[in-house]
Amino acid sequence: MEKLKKYLKNEFKKKGFDYLILLTGGIFFLVAINYFKGERFLEFIIILAFSCFYIFWGFYHHAINDSIYIKNVVEYILIAFIVLFLIKLILIP
Amino acid sequence: MEKLKKFFQELFIPHEKNNYKGKALQLDFLTLYLIFAFFISIFFKKYNINILGFATDITINKLFELTNKERQKYHLPSLNYNEKLAQAAYLKAQDMFNKNYWAHFAPDGTTPWEFILKSGYNYEYAGENLAKNFLFSDDVIAAWMRSPTHKKNILKEEYTDVGFAVVNGILNGEETTLVVQMFGKPSSSSIVANTNNNQENLLNQKILNEEKRPIVLAETAKKNNNYSNIIFNTNFVFFVFLLIALMIDIYFIAKLEIVRISGKTLAHFIFILFIIISFIIISKGSII
Repeated sequence: MEKLKKYLKNEFKKKGFDYLILLTGGIFFLVAINYFKGERFLEFIIILAFSCFYIFWGFYHHAINDSIYIKNVVEYILIAFIVLFLIKLILIP
Repeated sequence: MEKLKKFFQELFIPHEKNNYKGKALQLDFLTLYLIFAFFISIFFKKYNINILGFATDITINKLFELTNKERQKYHLPSLNYNEKLAQAAYLKAQDMFNKNYWAHFAPDGTTPWEFILKSGYNYEYAGENLAKNFLFSDDVIAAWMRSPTHKKNILKEEYTDVGFAVVNGILNGEETTLVVQMFGKPSSSSIVANTNNNQENLLNQKILNEEKRPIVLAETAKKNNNYSNIIFNTNFVFFVFLLIALMIDIYFIAKLEIVRISGKTLAHFIFILFIIISFIIISKGSII
């Protein structure tokens, strides 16, 4: 557990700004979802926007840390698209 | 047992043999998830199984039961289920779909009370609560109870009857499930009239107590309810599975101090967590 704490502390300390952007984006996303609650199409658009934001965030994060590889970018795209597909299934049949 | 342990190790725990990343989070597995998600969306589209629009898990029985439960909490008498109010609620929902609006008053000025009178219910007091795009009955009542005006309606001492309609249709181009709750207290003249048909009313009441559901809709909703639950729960379980896989990965990266060329597991974790929270918000629809 100590190592986990150290890892998280290190991660947030070194890349604090990147995570701050991600968390801010996430909070805006939740506020928007809550605001447009019940509007299925808008909810889907907001999730689509957040998924795109996440892919760009991954791109930016790895670019800034000199660790950008196709494999990494594909991973972000896959995660975002899995989420998008599953949510679409619920929101827009 | 040993094999199972090995399987889980391979699936979740990063080590030398799986290139320091659990199989569950590797690109080939993520691609498989995506293909799986794509195919189930095709399957459900092909069989026209709609998740929210036509198959929410909202039932009249549950709404009626929960409404009375809320009243009992405040020591108020239970409401009786009234077929005429249910008919009025159904007419109101149909009117919203036909004229494409989401409000208590129609754009042409039609009031909720007109539907009540049209259904043959002469009221002394009447009220209406609306909700749309909720997934579960409990959430509808909980949302109404959180809103002072809706709560006031549910707990109004004067009301004696209630009727519900849960109707599916297209509103603003979207498949929507509307929930209409109509309250009422019959005017004294209609009470006199009603006493003449007391026997018939008692019989109706008995039938309604056994099966309190709207005149239309029930068939569609009943047919698709199971599918909707399966899809919703499958998605939820999948996201939780992904979250657990990511948590285990983060733990072992920290523990074994692994440095690897890969996407940030911590970022994926945060992203999925936001999505799960949004999932919970989405299931809660809107009320007016």
